[in-house]
Amino acid sequence: MRKVFALLTIVLFSIYAQAADVNQTFYKLRDKILSVKDYTADIRMKINVSFMRIPDLRGRIYFKSPDKLRLERFGGISILPKKNINITLNNLLPSGNATVIDAGYDMLEGKKTHILKIVPSDDQTDIVLTKMWVDEANLLALRVETTTKDEGTIQMDLHYGNYENYALPDKATIYIDVKEYKLPKGVTMDYTETDNNAPKPKTDGKTRQKGRIEITYLSYKINTGLSDAVFNKK
Amino acid sequence: MTALLRTELYKIFHRPRTYISFGIIAAITFVIQLAMFTDGKSFVNFALQGVSEQFYIQGNILNGYLITYIILQSLLIHIPLLVALVAGDALAGEANSGTLRLLLTKPVSRTQLVLAKFTGSIIYTLLLLIWLAIVALGASLLIFGKGDLINLKSDAFVLILQKDVAWRYVAACGFAALAMTTIAAMSLLLSAFADNSIGPIITTMGIVIVLTILSNLELPIYNTIKPYIFTTHMIGWKGFFDDPIPYAAIGRSAIILVVYTILFIAATLIYFNRKDIKS
Repeated sequence: MRKVFALLTIVLFSIYAQAADVNQTFYKLRDKILSVKDYTADIRMKINVSFMRIPDLRGRIYFKSPDKLRLERFGGISILPKKNINITLNNLLPSGNATVIDAGYDMLEGKKTHILKIVPSDDQTDIVLTKMWVDEANLLALRVETTTKDEGTIQMDLHYGNYENYALPDKATIYIDVKEYKLPKGVTMDYTETDNNAPKPKTDGKTRQKGRIEITYLSYKINTGLSDAVFNKK
Repeated sequence: MTALLRTELYKIFHRPRTYISFGIIAAITFVIQLAMFTDGKSFVNFALQGVSEQFYIQGNILNGYLITYIILQSLLIHIPLLVALVAGDALAGEANSGTLRLLLTKPVSRTQLVLAKFTGSIIYTLLLLIWLAIVALGASLLIFGKGDLINLKSDAFVLILQKDVAWRYVAACGFAALAMTTIAAMSLLLSAFADNSIGPIITTMGIVIVLTILSNLELPIYNTIKPYIFTTHMIGWKGFFDDPIPYAAIGRSAIILVVYTILFIAATLIYFNRKDIKS
């Protein structure tokens, strides 16, 4: 009986220790991410959506915690996915208390990552569940998968370099769900020779309805005290 | 030949109705620009609703380049009519006014006369396109400013960066000139058959309208003949606003238009050289 009790105590203790461990990892990482109150970043953006033919766009992203974001294209037209305007990591993490569950380990691009499942305690928040692949050695999230109430699942892959101390990526790849796009040919009066012979956007069975946005961050200016007026510009 | 061409140009540009075409282009362009200036945002919102459901699109969307594209799209049918006004009148007008027989008593061959009429029509067409570029592109840029161009196709949303647009318009105008040359050649052929200019002008318009509708109908029965109809290729200028630009398709379309032009002119020469001129 004593042996069973001891074994149970050890198991419970290890579960508690593990939970405390993943909790600590999550909150430390979140604190690191939230230490960036604002930033201005020059970016290069590549939109890879089957029906969109858009060249690489250069511009500037302005971000202010908790959720202000603006993309400026130096006079050109800027395009951002509507469903997941949260193209910064900050907005993919629950902000209040959360239950963190250990979901094991996985290798991501040759790096060992700890998978954490985070369920926000506040049921009013839009985020239902966030799954993070954390590089514990450097305290960085290499992949974040967030399921929201209204916008489905958003996945973001992150690559770090010069700004990893702030958990700011050098490159972020965001995966989005897109609906099919069609306009009547009678309205657009397409040049049919083009349609028949020009190369079609590359799609396959798996990614037909998936879009991908790659953002390469060329430089950052961090915590400069950005004014709210920057986000009100039209 | 030069003297003959000079005479043709004199005749074309000393007729008041020649300038009606320039006036019509300016009027249509102005009407579209005014509509876009006052209610362009609603138009853009309507046109982009399929994309803006999923994406935020911000910036100067309603810029001069987009307005010009809308104008060119709207003038798809009108420009051939204006070209036919002059080319359709070239031989039939002379016959109608009784000057054709007199003209042929001069020491010029019938072939030279047809080629001079055709060249005169081409010069008029080119001037019409240059005028279109000035009032559509020039004025729109002045009113609405520059910006990236959004081109909505039936299955694609194409964005062309501002720095990459101007040369595409130059290329598109070049292609449009080729397409309008084909119309001028057809109209001249019809003009050779007639003794009054109304017939060739209306017939040219009828052919262009019917074939344009046929080119745009998405019915399998017409798909086999579409590649051989010249109206399918007349909108090849739009290819310059795609990404990537379908150079092979544009080249094919250009060749087909050139072949049609040569056939129309050859037929005109053959018929006109054998024609019994009675007036």
